[in-house]
Amino acid sequence: MTEKYDAVVVGAGLGGLSAATMLARNGLRVLLLERHNIPGGYATSFVRGRYEFEVALHELSGIGPPERRGGLYRYLEYLGVADRVEFLTVPHLYRSVFPNLDVTLPMGREPFEARLCETFPHEARGIRRFLKRVFDLGQDFGRVVRQRGAVHPLTMPFRFPHLFRYLPTTWGQVLNRDVRDPLARAVISQYWGYVGLPPSRISFLYFAVTLAAYVLRGAAFPRGRSQALSNAFLATFEELGGESRFNCPVRRILTENGRVVGVVTEEGEEVQTNWVVSNADPITTCRDLIGVDKVPSSFFANLQSSEIAPSTVNVYLGVARSPEALGLAEHEIFINSDPDFDRHYEAMQALGPVPAIALTCYNIVYPEVSPPGTSVVVLTALSYGQPWYDVPPEAYVETKNRVAEAMIQLAERVAPGLREHAEVVEVSTPITNMRYAGTMGGSIYGFNQPPRDNMVWRMGHRGPVEGLYFVGAWTRPGGGFEPCVMSGQMAAGAILHRIKKEREGA
Amino acid sequence: MAPEFLYWLQDVFAYLRVARERRRLRQPGHGFDYTRDRDTVHRIVSRIHPQRMRLRVVEVVQQTPTSKTFRLERTDGPLPPFRPGQYVNLFVDVDGVLTSRPYSIASRPGSPYLELTVRDKPGGFVAPYLLSQIEAGDELESSGPAGHFYHEPLIDGNDLVFLAGGSGITPFMSIIRDALHNNRPLQIHLLYGSRSPDDVIYGEELAELAARHPNFRYTLVISEPPPGYEGLTGFLDADRIREQVGDVRGKTFYICGPAVMYDFCTTALERLGVPPHRIRRELYGPPDDVTKEPGWPEGLAADTLFEVEVVGRGTVRAMAGEPLLNTLERYGFLVPALCRSGACSACRLRLLSGRVFSPAHATPREADRLYGYIHACVSYPLEDLRIRLP
Repeated sequence: MTEKYDAVVVGAGLGGLSAATMLARNGLRVLLLERHNIPGGYATSFVRGRYEFEVALHELSGIGPPERRGGLYRYLEYLGVADRVEFLTVPHLYRSVFPNLDVTLPMGREPFEARLCETFPHEARGIRRFLKRVFDLGQDFGRVVRQRGAVHPLTMPFRFPHLFRYLPTTWGQVLNRDVRDPLARAVISQYWGYVGLPPSRISFLYFAVTLAAYVLRGAAFPRGRSQALSNAFLATFEELGGESRFNCPVRRILTENGRVVGVVTEEGEEVQTNWVVSNADPITTCRDLIGVDKVPSSFFANLQSSEIAPSTVNVYLGVARSPEALGLAEHEIFINSDPDFDRHYEAMQALGPVPAIALTCYNIVYPEVSPPGTSVVVLTALSYGQPWYDVPPEAYVETKNRVAEAMIQLAERVAPGLREHAEVVEVSTPITNMRYAGTMGGSIYGFNQPPRDNMVWRMGHRGPVEGLYFVGAWTRPGGGFEPCVMSGQMAAGAILHRIKKEREGA
Repeated sequence: MAPEFLYWLQDVFAYLRVARERRRLRQPGHGFDYTRDRDTVHRIVSRIHPQRMRLRVVEVVQQTPTSKTFRLERTDGPLPPFRPGQYVNLFVDVDGVLTSRPYSIASRPGSPYLELTVRDKPGGFVAPYLLSQIEAGDELESSGPAGHFYHEPLIDGNDLVFLAGGSGITPFMSIIRDALHNNRPLQIHLLYGSRSPDDVIYGEELAELAARHPNFRYTLVISEPPPGYEGLTGFLDADRIREQVGDVRGKTFYICGPAVMYDFCTTALERLGVPPHRIRRELYGPPDDVTKEPGWPEGLAADTLFEVEVVGRGTVRAMAGEPLLNTLERYGFLVPALCRSGACSACRLRLLSGRVFSPAHATPREADRLYGYIHACVSYPLEDLRIRLP
């Protein structure tokens, strides 16, 4: 006998957890299936010796201080997740290091602008003008989100003029008009690693909304690392009556006459449902789980213009020295060998030298993250998955260690002694991301966000067959912790809306 | 600088550019064709990290009176890469009980077979089965290579001291064979503690390698020497290590052997001034007798029985002195397992009520401790439990 659920969620990444909890919160009988043995997807942690490493989260947006909570926090509150997690506050926005410059940018619009202007006094006017565009667009976007509902294309230029104007532009296109100094441009664009494409390619909308979110509301980090957030989601989901199964990969999503009717697990168990929320990437979902022949061909034709975003190489270091002894005082440090981010982007597509890394020292925001007198330091470099596909298996370890070696050398520019005192090191590559999250290319941001695939124009939640919905970084609004959680809310909201309509119609 | 209004025009014209770009990429033969491949992720990942491997025994060699070496070839694909020092978890069916045990790979990467050496263990369950039942031609199944006990050139330097005890020689064998075969720029000094000369595994090969390679030193220390034994005797204590190794500065120490050896050698190394971050330890499974572990409740006998309710699946009777994972396996529950030493979290499950004991080397995640997840391989019931399999 096959079981029947109102909805089945495939994958317990943040998008899946969010959608599942939202659906359960609204009274649906939900089954959550996950191939791995732990919830969270990339929002997880792992232990080596006496160190526990955060896998993916650098800075969490959307939480905000108690008096000005952000969108993510309010949603977590609505679900009942917020109370289970303690959010710590990241003290600085970021520190940006170049061969001839070392500047730390503070949180908050005024301090942020002021620091930039005093660092680049000759560019002060242009910097202020540019940041006004960024925050104006951020405001427009916030209003669109709050109004919940489509914006009529004819009224948009008047009601949301900034959004209208910058929707098709790249960040670089706008920035380069206001700011001339390549170093100033680079420092302002330092967060490009958080959006996956360099200034010349990334959607202005996506970058502006991201930067505004961090500058205006600050960044948080959950006590217990992002696994605490994932576990809190699962506990809430289960308390709301949701059922979950781990170590349980889905083999097929069943369709009949262009409509989802159920899923089949790897063990051959069949589950009936009318609604499937897939947290697996849309390519794997439609090609491998449903079957190319059962999906309208327009789906894959439309995907032809969507490009898989980069993955990462991470070097996780447990170091037997305190952050002070290593000279680390900031949570997030971007270390660049030069300000030419287009060159850095080219480097992501090969396995050559590493031009830039982010160094995250988690003890700054979370002193108890490792035993007293030690530090947890994670180095991150963006890298596309494709070049790693072609590495012969026997050369894999050597290749990843060569890349890691270059990253450690860069890190030692700001933290000398890092290697000397390292007790534990673990290197992850795009292959590692693929292994644990099952995503194409080990992508960390789903599809890239050039203007043509920005938060507004990228793939929606509704899938190509009736009853199928996508969540996660591949859909709207896009990559990142907050966007992935929000994608779950949006997809679940759409399903609930349609169920309500169907009931009213019946 | 152009007037703002020209920029505005430029921005609005970008709508056309984006539309054109999309249209072009979506034409047949352009853009990204995601239908071409199938199961891309699995195909790419399983070349390097196969979840399971089918193995066939090609040769069994009696190493010592109590140990055998098994040479295994993979029948469902090429052997994946591994780091010398890693292990595979061998899945076996012993009298109807599906269980597994991790064994270090003793062969080097590039060798056509995987070599595992198994020593008999008094009171053991899987080792006696392997030693008495498995012959050439038999089929076995294992995990992919796993584990974190290896030489890491990124941070370990190249002056290495290996402290091996008994069958703990096996991961070192792989590292030594690999280093010498590939002429890696490493200085290796192996101190191998064994009970009697008869028990020494790989003794001849080690002596021969040491004679041929100036960058490899081999020191054998016998703890229960037979009458007339002329080599070094005793334990791998601080004095012996100092005498053999000399200055410890710049050296990285690796320990693998029976559980008692870890505390013993770690203390010795600390006395010699080796900083903790220069000491690497292999995992060592559940303790032989958990009731002797620090923190074990006084007076609780190992054979005390408790009821463990597996939610939705029934109730089993568990002994206080047996790891929960082993109990569950005896009752026919399939629980994923890998390191069976408390570290990897493959056997992570949810403790809904009741208390368990875990020895100090169990390392669950912080958020898992908070939500009551335990690693079943090193969790022992202290009262009746309710658990949920994931």
